[in-house]
Amino acid sequence: MAQSDATTSQPTASSLGAMPTGRRWNKLRAAVEGYLYLTPTLIGLTLFVFWPIVSSLNLSLQRISPFGNRFRYVGLDNYIKTLTSPDYWETVRVTLFFVLGTVPTGLILSVALAIALAYPLGRMDPVYRTLIFVPVVISSAVTGVLFKWLYHPVVGYINYGLLQLGFIQTMQEGPNWFADKTWALVAVIVATTWRQLGFNVIVALAGVQNIDESYYDAAKVDGANAWQRIRHITLPLISPTLFFLLIINVIYSFQAFGEIDVLTQGGPGRATTNMVYSIYRIAFVDARDRGLASAQAYLLALMILIMSYIQFATVNKRVHYQ
Amino acid sequence: MNRKFAWFSLVLVLAMVLSACAAPAAPAQAPAQEEAAPAKEEAAPAAKEEEAMAEEVITLEFWHSMGGNLGELVDELVARFNDSQDKIVVNATYQGSYDDAFNKMQAAMETGQLPQITQNFDIAFQAMVDTGVVLPAWKMIEKYQDFDPEVLVPAVREYYSDENGLVALAFNSSTPILYYNADMFEAAGVPDIEGSLSFSEFKAMCDKLMEAEVAPYCFTFGQVGWYFEQILANSGGLYFNNNNGRTGRATAVEFNSGQGVEVFTFLNSLIQEGYAPNLGSTWTETDSTFQTGQAAIEIDSTSDVSIIEKSDFPVKTAFIPHSDSSERNGVIIGGAALWLVDSGDEAINKASWEFMKFMAAPEQQITWHTGSGYFPVNLKAHEDPRLQKFWEEHPNFRTAIDQLVTTKTFLDDGSLNYAVLGGRAGPFPAIRKLIVEAYSRVLNDGLTPQEALDEAAEKANELLAEYNAFFE
Repeated sequence: MAQSDATTSQPTASSLGAMPTGRRWNKLRAAVEGYLYLTPTLIGLTLFVFWPIVSSLNLSLQRISPFGNRFRYVGLDNYIKTLTSPDYWETVRVTLFFVLGTVPTGLILSVALAIALAYPLGRMDPVYRTLIFVPVVISSAVTGVLFKWLYHPVVGYINYGLLQLGFIQTMQEGPNWFADKTWALVAVIVATTWRQLGFNVIVALAGVQNIDESYYDAAKVDGANAWQRIRHITLPLISPTLFFLLIINVIYSFQAFGEIDVLTQGGPGRATTNMVYSIYRIAFVDARDRGLASAQAYLLALMILIMSYIQFATVNKRVHYQ
Repeated sequence: MNRKFAWFSLVLVLAMVLSACAAPAAPAQAPAQEEAAPAKEEAAPAAKEEEAMAEEVITLEFWHSMGGNLGELVDELVARFNDSQDKIVVNATYQGSYDDAFNKMQAAMETGQLPQITQNFDIAFQAMVDTGVVLPAWKMIEKYQDFDPEVLVPAVREYYSDENGLVALAFNSSTPILYYNADMFEAAGVPDIEGSLSFSEFKAMCDKLMEAEVAPYCFTFGQVGWYFEQILANSGGLYFNNNNGRTGRATAVEFNSGQGVEVFTFLNSLIQEGYAPNLGSTWTETDSTFQTGQAAIEIDSTSDVSIIEKSDFPVKTAFIPHSDSSERNGVIIGGAALWLVDSGDEAINKASWEFMKFMAAPEQQITWHTGSGYFPVNLKAHEDPRLQKFWEEHPNFRTAIDQLVTTKTFLDDGSLNYAVLGGRAGPFPAIRKLIVEAYSRVLNDGLTPQEALDEAAEKANELLAEYNAFFE
């Protein structure tokens, strides 16, 4: 089949091209040619993106057995069940808290670091940049294991540090990072922010370095101090970059998975089970019900869509494009 | 010229993509033949006799979840099988965790690319049976009369049996035991633990250890569902109704009454009263707590013996405790078993069965036990002088065996003791997770153990009802 395609379509294309059918044909041919170029990508997208989207909509209307693949059509029951479950709203709350915890801190830190790095640091420059970018290259599983050791309540370095610094008298007094509901989420937020930081800094740094020196020179002549220069020149001029980072970070945070899986498995209780982790548990570990999981996946997609729309509608107005 | 070339390459790319997409569909129906195919091709140009010989070799896919050094040990056993005869070749592949392997199997059911033998863990029993692709062991035994289930440790045999007989062949079996720091016990003047302690005896011992200040904590355990299940069984309590789901499909849980509450209260009180650190739901942090001398006693799987024995201090082992209001019953066999996936071809099924029997044979079980700490499930292996000698040198391995062998699989009147056979229910993995959450409801949210278990029971019963609805 593959062979015949190659041999038949090639002469057809050239012989048709030679036919004197006028401008309309040329136009059509250009369009067809364009789509043909797109086809390889479209096939990939259809198979791995569009088709799963449609198929999971179908799955979300079924209850699927954890053994074999027995299906039972349940209509909107999965959605109703999800939306009326207090456990589900808990995952929404965790997700939002997680986003609020990681995105603003991540952005503020990355801009501060980018501005600091933009000043010439001499020979140490590449060293600092490398150090800041290294966490991005490390896989989230490795990050997880590292932080697990740091946070360990009995033998961990963080509590040991607190002990040595005199903040606590015994190891037992330190926060029990992963067993305490509030600290667990904070611990995961810190680990995730740390890992994301490198990427954010590199992007923000590119934005800062793109700013023309002459703006600063002009401001200096006008007597603006360092803070005023940052506030009135740097920040507005990197706002398109920041907007990009905001969108990317929000989406990433909504879908955080690796750190949670390695550090807390969603616990204690459900304190760090965000929407994505809940979907994963339902689909592949606990209930193994891909129907219910698909319904939750749809709800998550809807939520990200709405968030992105709000961001475009509100924040975009404040972005200054040069 | 350029344009022509562009068209040509485009079509070429298209053709490649299309053919790549079409490829997996073709051999989907017959996985066994597909695997035999390469052997055939190689033999094709050769003489007819050779071709016949090549066709006789059956290649089997074996999926397992044994990573790291356990995986190497499995490979060693598989190689031993492949070398022992020339009719069957087994390909062992590591598929990740039990959950991963089960998910892959579920996906494989759609494409038809199922393995011939797969390993799956204890509590997936009901779901594995319900897949409908499993060929129960008793059918093979009936047909070939070449395996006597009586050679298996009774607790193991009964765990993997239904009313017709043996369903899966246990391979790696483990139970939890207590590990304790012998130096600390000596320093605190606490005698070695004999037999299974009751909860109050356990706490009294902890008091002595804590008073002697040998370690910040007496005990360390992870808040996983397994220890609750095991101590509940040891106290004679049932997890599910219908005799733990063994005389009929489980329709409700029973852990939120009687022994269940007593056991769960005890476990939580260990943390609430400062005997144990709150490490959350973990399988590994307890090791680091115990091995760094932060706790005197740890509960962990017997399959971790070889790791925990490598501590800097002498480690001794003991039976797990039981509730004050009960006598010791024993432990449920954990770990995993090998399942025969029905290929529809008798010769292939027979070959798979040969491999499964081989893995359960004394010789392999001895290698497996001494290398991993999982039990030798074959009673004949227990009599082997090599194993006797090994146990003399490693008394900690012995504790595990004793705890299992002395388990009351049968009650005094000869009927089965369903408590120690362990629960059987389709959504067991999801229900186990509810117990993990119940710990947090008590320790973080201040519910009483009874309230937390009631809440878990309500969700569990809903899961059971949903699962059972597939069979109405």
